[in-house]
Formats: sequence, structure tokens, C-alpha cells
Amino acid sequence: MITIKNLHKNFGALEVIKGIDLSIEAGQVVCIIGPSGSGKSTVLRCINRLEELTSGQIVVDGHDLYAADTDINYVRTEAGMVFQQFNLFPHMSVLENVTLGPIKVRGMSRHEANKLGVELLKKVGLQEKAKNYPEQLSGGQKQRVAIARALALKPKVILFDEPTSALDPELVGEVLEVMKKLANEGMTMVVVTHEMDFAREVADRVIFIDKGVIQEDGPPAEVFNNPKNPRLKDFLGKVGHVH
Amino acid sequence: MAFKFEPDVMVETFPMLLSGVKLTIIITLCGLLIGFVIGVLCGLMKLSKNPVLRKLAGAYVELIRGTPLIVQVMFLYFGIPMASGLRIPPLTAGVIAIAVNSGAYIAEIVRGSVQSIDFGQREAGRSIGLTQAQTMLYIIWPQAFRRMIPPLGNQFIISLKDTSLLVVIGVAELTRVGQEIIAVNFRAFEVWLTVGLVYLMMTLTISRVLKTVENRIERRGAR
Repeated sequence: MITIKNLHKNFGALEVIKGIDLSIEAGQVVCIIGPSGSGKSTVLRCINRLEELTSGQIVVDGHDLYAADTDINYVRTEAGMVFQQFNLFPHMSVLENVTLGPIKVRGMSRHEANKLGVELLKKVGLQEKAKNYPEQLSGGQKQRVAIARALALKPKVILFDEPTSALDPELVGEVLEVMKKLANEGMTMVVVTHEMDFAREVADRVIFIDKGVIQEDGPPAEVFNNPKNPRLKDFLGKVGHVH
Repeated sequence: MAFKFEPDVMVETFPMLLSGVKLTIIITLCGLLIGFVIGVLCGLMKLSKNPVLRKLAGAYVELIRGTPLIVQVMFLYFGIPMASGLRIPPLTAGVIAIAVNSGAYIAEIVRGSVQSIDFGQREAGRSIGLTQAQTMLYIIWPQAFRRMIPPLGNQFIISLKDTSLLVVIGVAELTRVGQEIIAVNFRAFEVWLTVGLVYLMMTLTISRVLKTVENRIERRGAR
């Protein structure tokens, strides 16, 4: 589904990603963990080209992101994105947030899109909020709408960039619940997260990134219970996950 | 001889000013309408990735903002015809001057408002597959436009008052009409007082309308 080859990314003179190779299969739930500033979000953002890579190759569902004939707008619809800060459109109702993509990008009729939108809002448990505006929602509700918005384009993979980091602790659960549901339905997911319990429980695979390279990559049981890399041991110790 | 205030003069003056009021409103409206188009265009040019467009719009804004309107008006009306042999009618010159002048300030209002929209909005738009133009049209612009309303209202009031400078090229707008009345009755105090009050009535009306628009938008919810 996603193949990353020798990814490098510089911000000015600073090299943030120093050669990452990664292959993600359809249906996999991959959690990327690591200390802040490790480059984990940057990798995720490169996957739908919100960030331009410096060198390397990224292929999403058979489309080389940097090939001249690739329609990046199309590829982006195949890889939905959920942001840390939700980034809902404040001037549109909840339902309009969800239906904008299907209408403008997929060319769906408003009627059809509304039907899809209501269905997706039901899925994230917010059908009664369809007519509300984002500012009337809690953080957790906003993020669930953002997930519905990403789902509306029927993407092949959803990228989550620290989806619960901006939430009050008591609102984290409802968002993780929705994500679990998606994972169980077989959605391919790449999740940059600090929620170690979620990674342990839901992920098929956990990747530890530090200093711009993949330090460890394996099933959660192995990564959490038997970390080999000293940096990972250190990191898990700091976040309180030593077993 | 001591000064004696004659309120009757004000009452007499008021109806005579109406033709000037009409022209002031026409110049303001036409000038701002064109100025808005120029402003949006130049504002977006200033945000463009293309350095030529950016510099072009930047130079226009600096040039207009950096010179007095009265000099711009006289250059347009007296200077350009001398070089080109083309006479511009005073009213047209007035409208052009207000349009070109307000356009520069509106360009800055547009640029600032668009830039003030959180970058995450752009990313969210792009992430659902919208093109750059669609993201601007459906996501950025509607939000930016709401933020433009207060500074645009301010510019409307400024431009309305600026039309009084067109007195130097003989456009028969409100200030000019006042001057002509004084030339006949010599009652500077009463006439200028009346003229001032009429301007105030117009600017207060704009303020009122703007407040209503702002409130309505706020009530519709969303930032």
C-alpha cells in the first residue's frame, strides 16, 4: 500500500529525516512512536505530500508521489489525514465539513453526499450534531468529525498525526474508540501517537523513530516487552512503559 | 462687527448641498467597487508564489501608499493630459483616483486577512483532495472575507472623506458645492458646519450598516 524508499528531509540546513525505508501493507495498523522532534510527524506528512521530501521515493497505492504524471490531488484523496489540531472548517456545519470533499472532489450530488455524510457521522456517533458548527463541539467531538471527513473520500489509508495530543484527557477515549472501530474494519492506518496503550492494543506493528531514522520496528508485544534498542528502552522508561 | 450665528443659513444651505452629496456618493461607490476589484487582485498577487506578480503588486501598493492622494489626483488630471494629450473628465478622474488609491489599501487588507487564516486550514483543504484554487475559494476566502469586513468598513469611511480632495480638480462633489455657496453668501461658519454634519451623517450610516453586518455574521456562528 505504502512504500517509502530512502526518505530524506531537510528543513534548511537541518536534516530531520536521515534515510527511512518503510513498507506498509493494506489492512495494517502501524503506530509510529518516538520523542518529540524525532521526525515521526514529518514522515507521516510526506506520505501525502503536505511536506515535500528532499530525496527518496514514496509510492502510495501504486502512485509514485513525485512522478511528473502523478495527480497529487487524487493521491491525497486515497490517503486521508487527521490532524492534531483537527483543522475543521469553522465556517461550515459539521455535515458540510464532511460532504465538501465528496461534492467538490468526487463530484457527488449534494443529496448523495448528505446521505453519506449522515452515515459517517452516525459511525463516529455524532449524527445529532450534523447541523452544528465546529465551535459548538468539544475537542473529542471535533476530532471525530475530522475522522468522518477523512473517511468521506473513501481513502485506502488514513494518516493520523497525533490525533489525541490536543485533547483533554477525558476526551481521548472517545476518539481512540472510533479509531479502534476503524482498525477492526480493516482500514489501513498509520498513526503517529503518544498513546502507548492504544499502540499496544490496536497496532499490528509499532515503529520507533528517533534522530530521523527507524530505530526499531516490530509487533507491539516485542517492541514494548522486549525493546532491544537502548534509545527505545530509554524512551519507554520516560513515558512509563517499561515491562 | 461681532459675529452672529445664523441658523437659517444652515437650513437654506442643506438642500443646496444635495447635488454634491449625490456626486460624493456616486464617486465613493464607483471608486470603491473598482478599488475592491483592484485590491483583491493585488492582494492575491502579493500572496502569489510568482515573484514577478508579487513585486508588481508590492510596487503598486508602496507607490500609492507613499504619496498623498491630492498629488495623485493632480497628476492624473493635470499631469497625464499634458504628456498624453488625453483629457480625462473630472468625474472620471475622481473615480479613477479613489479606485486606484483605495485599491492599494484594500490589497493590504486582503493580504493580511488571507494570511491570518491558520495554515492548518489550507492543509486540511489540500488533504481532502481540493486543488489550491478550490482551497482558496471554499476554505480560505470565506473565512478571510469575514475578517476583512471591519478594516474594509474603515476604508469605506476614509475613501468617502477622501472624495473631498477632488475639490482641486473641480468635481462638483459635496465640498466643492459648499465652497461655491460660500462664494455667494460669505457664511463660512454655517456652511462648513453644515457640510461637516452632512459628511458625518454619511459616515455614521456606513458605521451603522457595518455593525449590523458584523453582528449578523457573528450570530450565524463560527469564527
